[in-house]
Amino acid sequence: MLALIRMSLRNLFRQKRRNLLLGSAIAVGVLLLVVANSFSRGISDVMINKVLRWVTGHVTVAYNERSRMASEIFRDKDRINAILDQHKDVILQREEAIGAFVKAIGVGKADNLMLIGLDFSAAGNEKSRKETEEAFRLIGGNWDDLNNSTAENPLIISQEKARYLGVKIGDILRIRLRNIYSQDQSARATVMGIVKSDNIFMQPVAFIDMQKIKDIMGFDAHSTGILNLIIKDPMRNAQPLADALHKQLNASLAVIPAAAQKSDLPITVLGYRSDPDSRDKLSKLLTLRQGAWDTLWKDKTALVSAPLAQRLRLKPGSSLEVRYTDKWGNANTPMLIKVGGIFDPQKVWGENTILANDEKFYEQFYEHWPRAAQPNEQAAIPGTSHTAYALLAPEWILLPRTLTTEDLEKKYQDMGKKKQKATLIDVRTMYEAGKMVLQLEGVLNLITLTAALILLFITLIGVINTLRMTIRERTREIGTIRAIGMQQKDVRNLFLFESFFLALFASIAGVILALLIMWGLSSITLRMDDNPLGMMLVNGHLYFLPTIWSVLGNMLLVLVLVVVTAFFPARRAAKLSPVEALRHTE
Amino acid sequence: MKKTAKNIIEISGLTKDYPLGNTTVNALRGIDLNVQEGAFTSIIGPSGSGKTTLLNIIGCIDTATRGSVKVAGHEITGLNDKQITDLRLHTIGFIFQTFNLIPVLDVLENIEFPLLLMKKHSGAEIRQRAEKLADLVGLGEHVKHRPAELSGGQRQRVAIARALVTSPSLVLADEPTANLDSVTGGQILEVMRQMNRLEKTTFIFSTHDANVLKYAIGVTKLKDGVITAN
Ligand SMILES: Nc1ncnc2c1ncn2[C@@H]1O[C@H](COP(=O)(O)OP(=O)(O)OP(=O)(O)O)[C@@H](O)[C@H]1O
Ligand SMILES: [Mg+2]
Repeated sequence: MLALIRMSLRNLFRQKRRNLLLGSAIAVGVLLLVVANSFSRGISDVMINKVLRWVTGHVTVAYNERSRMASEIFRDKDRINAILDQHKDVILQREEAIGAFVKAIGVGKADNLMLIGLDFSAAGNEKSRKETEEAFRLIGGNWDDLNNSTAENPLIISQEKARYLGVKIGDILRIRLRNIYSQDQSARATVMGIVKSDNIFMQPVAFIDMQKIKDIMGFDAHSTGILNLIIKDPMRNAQPLADALHKQLNASLAVIPAAAQKSDLPITVLGYRSDPDSRDKLSKLLTLRQGAWDTLWKDKTALVSAPLAQRLRLKPGSSLEVRYTDKWGNANTPMLIKVGGIFDPQKVWGENTILANDEKFYEQFYEHWPRAAQPNEQAAIPGTSHTAYALLAPEWILLPRTLTTEDLEKKYQDMGKKKQKATLIDVRTMYEAGKMVLQLEGVLNLITLTAALILLFITLIGVINTLRMTIRERTREIGTIRAIGMQQKDVRNLFLFESFFLALFASIAGVILALLIMWGLSSITLRMDDNPLGMMLVNGHLYFLPTIWSVLGNMLLVLVLVVVTAFFPARRAAKLSPVEALRHTE
Repeated sequence: MKKTAKNIIEISGLTKDYPLGNTTVNALRGIDLNVQEGAFTSIIGPSGSGKTTLLNIIGCIDTATRGSVKVAGHEITGLNDKQITDLRLHTIGFIFQTFNLIPVLDVLENIEFPLLLMKKHSGAEIRQRAEKLADLVGLGEHVKHRPAELSGGQRQRVAIARALVTSPSLVLADEPTANLDSVTGGQILEVMRQMNRLEKTTFIFSTHDANVLKYAIGVTKLKDGVITAN
């Protein structure tokens, strides 16, 4: 073995010029492969960890309160956070994505801005702040001014927008936006900073303090906006995490465990679904003692169980106020109920049950989230096997997981058609939300890798040709060593070792050159402000991401390819008949 | 290896045909030949008489068309490539007209080469044996030279040492002196004869040079593929 290696190494240096040439070709192949691979890894990293991170995060938990597209709010942030806490090992960061498209009115000109809330004050956000500051370089003002209390709603906008709107630092902009209650809102904002944007995607972005935008939008202390999660190893973890969160976000029935206003009579307030389909089914299931379905639907009034109606002397048209304790301990939270019908509970419903129209019910439920039902209150709550379970209002509607942008859009369209009233919760990954970005990444990777592989292929043809030439020249030598008693296998290995060492030395040289070239290329500053390809730059520099494993992987790929290619000529050499080989003359 | 049989080579009815275009060349046409162990015998004949062909078949690097060939007790026609290669390695040494040394190895490494292939001995043993043979063929001073740095006679000495290093029972030399001047050729045959005496190795060498014959102990005459005198 050792003798074989020694011999093959010496043979390698025998035809210096030829092997140097072939070695250079392999080195260039490795070089291109490593550079292309590192570049596409760089692109992936930029796309996934820099671009998508800003746009959607790796996994997103999104809400539409009461099925309204503009109300991206969930009013029980503890509940969500408790679930996310169970995945602390993968979730690196939770970022509340509170943003709003606003119309900004400057000096005689108006333009759209994408207002993004930044929370630099919270603990653990130092990294996020650093990343923001790196991605958006300030050319005027100061990031700390976002929290400047002397200015009204401090704002940082891009150079381009500032120029267009005709404002400079210290100037006031008027902004208009739609808040989470779908009301138009107007506010004044002070330009406190101007950033330079790397590419056109970043131009409309404007920053404001998180608390300020929450106030303007109408968030309270218990509410959370859409949560963008930045996670470890997003390529691998995004889907499993989204699936796990989805499972844990399964909704149960929305229940308000209430009591009558002046007595302690317990009353279970539930919501009934008011979409046409559910309404139909409900009217077939329940027997009305008083009232008519038509007016009930029209007035969006509630159904009261007969015994309760009797006890409280209620009839269609009357109203009652119940009270309950909300999640944050506020006892005596009132709820006004307008009665539209009296139904027969027929032993399947609790005696004191109120079925409120879901639209009215959710208005109360989400804004004053009730505490969970106590064990003694459970009996009156329909279980999952209840005949009407599917017709009752759930805490929220969890949208099914989707894997593509098309499916994501389609499920929202379908939801829109169903006219649901509940809050929608969706768990999605960058693969759905940032498909365009990922597609671009995929295409770029494909192009670079294909180019490198084609070159490698050409090199491999060179390997075959050179080896054939070498074998022809050494035919008599092969005859000699075979005659002396070397086995076919060893002759084959002799040539394989030779090719292997050539490829090894060449690829080491290729890797070293590649590292030098990447270092050189990434130190050139490029200006691509208005070019979408500028997205691939980091602070105006090409970005390569060679990792030890990717470089070793590329080297290994080349070594394996060269050895496999060399295998066939080498085997042919080994199979030469010794006499024929000895007789060979050239 | 050495069987009790006195004949190291037993050939009977050996023919060898080469297809050549539409015809066949009958290079050997019915050879019967026995060679005793320890012989120092020569095959002589004009060019084209079949000397090389016969030696190649005895040396197990070519195959017979018909007939039986026994080398050191092995009937070689039934063996596969791996077995035949092993037989060559352990039983036969080759000396070529054109020396055929491995150019990238120095003198000592060339001599060691067959021993390394045997994978039986330690590095030290191999080295010792190779150095001893280098001394025996008179190349003790040149062990670090590459073949390109040696004269023809010196190269053939290396080839002799290489052929003998494994202590084979049989050494075949096809015109070992044809590429050497007569003085050097004589020296080479002296060395071979000495080895034959010292190591009791059977030597068969071919030549068409009558001068060389005086060194041989037995002579087999070949003409047109048949033995004319033994
Ligand atoms: N591979 C081959 N194909 C066809 N014919 C061959 C082949 N090898 C040898 N011959 C023929 O077989 C005959 C014997 O050849 P061989 O080489 O054995 O002769 P030789 O006695 O060694 O001659 P020389 O003294 O010239 O070396 C010759 O007629 C030769 O042309
Ligand atoms: Mg010949």
